[in-house]
Amino acid sequence: MRCERCGAPIGNKIIRYNGILLCEKCARDLNVEDPFRGTAMLGQPFSILGELSNALMSASNDLDFANANTQIRCPRCKTSLRDVETNGAVGCIECYNTFNETILKDILKRQGTSEYKGRKPGTRADIDETSAVKDKPETEAPAKPKIEVQPSKPEKKEAPKATKADLLEKIKKADLGTVSDDDLKEAMMLAAKNEDYDLAVRLRDELKSRKGDN
Amino acid sequence: MWYEKPGKDTDVVLSSKVTIVRNIKGFSFPAKMSDADRENAMGMIRQAGGNMGFNFIRCDEMDDTAKEDVFDQYYCKYNFLNSEQKTAFLLGKKEGLGVLLGDKEHISIVSFVSGDDILSAYKSAEEVAENFEKEMEIAYSDKLGFLTSDIRYVGTGLSISFLVSLPGIEKTAGALAILSKRAEKYDWQIRPILQSDGNKEAGMFEIKSIATLGVSESDMVSRAQKVIADAVKLERSCRTNIYKKKTLIVEDQFYRSYALLRYARKIEATEVLNLLGWLRFGLDNIKESEVDLDWDTINMLTHKVRRDYTAVDSRGRKNAASAGIRADKIRKALKKDNERG
Repeated sequence: MRCERCGAPIGNKIIRYNGILLCEKCARDLNVEDPFRGTAMLGQPFSILGELSNALMSASNDLDFANANTQIRCPRCKTSLRDVETNGAVGCIECYNTFNETILKDILKRQGTSEYKGRKPGTRADIDETSAVKDKPETEAPAKPKIEVQPSKPEKKEAPKATKADLLEKIKKADLGTVSDDDLKEAMMLAAKNEDYDLAVRLRDELKSRKGDN
Repeated sequence: MWYEKPGKDTDVVLSSKVTIVRNIKGFSFPAKMSDADRENAMGMIRQAGGNMGFNFIRCDEMDDTAKEDVFDQYYCKYNFLNSEQKTAFLLGKKEGLGVLLGDKEHISIVSFVSGDDILSAYKSAEEVAENFEKEMEIAYSDKLGFLTSDIRYVGTGLSISFLVSLPGIEKTAGALAILSKRAEKYDWQIRPILQSDGNKEAGMFEIKSIATLGVSESDMVSRAQKVIADAVKLERSCRTNIYKKKTLIVEDQFYRSYALLRYARKIEATEVLNLLGWLRFGLDNIKESEVDLDWDTINMLTHKVRRDYTAVDSRGRKNAASAGIRADKIRKALKKDNERG
């Protein structure tokens, strides 16, 4: 579930304001989080009247907005705002300007972002074909002899350290869902050793959730 | 037919599908188009498609055999082929590559590949999309990307999906939830496939991308490879586990299913898919099987049964007739396979 205002994922606490789903941060920004809690309320005995009048005002705004749905139409194809909201479809390019706010809200709700990261028209996507090669059996391993040619002094001792650091770096960047249990455990121990407790906790939670799944 | 070709991981993945949608700037989207605009836009697309070697066919000029062929190969909807609005199809020289014109969007490029090979499916579709983008002015905004009639596709206009058979995961408690969670991490979804009558197809699922914004095309392809690798791994382990625990039941169901498919004279699509699911369980697990059967035949049968054009518009009496024809076709396919073996 995502916040319908900023698109951030919503945690355990579900807050609705005027029918809109909000995350805790947005709820705090809009002063709607737990309106009846805290000392502020006790300090301001008349605030409850304010809340009530706000609720009435927003309800009337909602009514106005509902009427407006039928009236707002795309000047070019005559698609109405209600059509866009109910069908999730627009009639022409101009609709994107006319119903910009509604469309962006819908996109944020569905996808969590409205940032375009794809290719431009007439160009090709830069696809990393090595990811497909990973699945194939490793028949070619030309890198090994090269390593043996390197000067072989005390660097041998540093090698395991480098791989451990690499593992941590790799795991920091990687999607945890793709990392094996063993790697997660090892990385968790390393992270704790390096006092990177944030990462260690993330890894522990991932391991826990996997155990829970099984 | 593309689905008769051998592919990777065909024991689990039946097909990889890529859809890229595009619209021409200056025209309303198909739902709001006037007839004159529709003709103009189609003329432009026909010319651009002709330059790429595509054959243009109007749906209202197709005979039943052609419709059956397009329905079977390109998974076109029955409504698209029999639409009152003018729709058309660009048939590519490459098998599994086609373009739907005038459906929800002006141009919907579809690319199918047998088994798990999303990279080649994507590349074929992208090449066509790129050529269209060079030949005509496409609806595009720097902020939102490619503009589409359906808001779900605005952005890359790209949708990737896999048709998978997961009888092992379906029969293992909690396995589907694990796979769904994995898919969600990549902004993907997994959903059971429903037939036109609302019945669930046994063990058949679609694994599909959701995001079209916030991800690049290359990210989507690489996520697709990860998601499908997870699904294949999990399904295989579920099949093996079930076979180890319930060997006698699986073997019994395997041979029973084969016998029914091999000798039945009348059979419904739902039953066929259920029986094919049991064949998938046993095929790799049962050593020294007394049945000569391969994955290509099982997958071909699955496709044929799922995409039966004659069964789509059939109601009442016609159903019984198609059940008989279906059983005939299956018998022939299995007989051929046995003789070959």
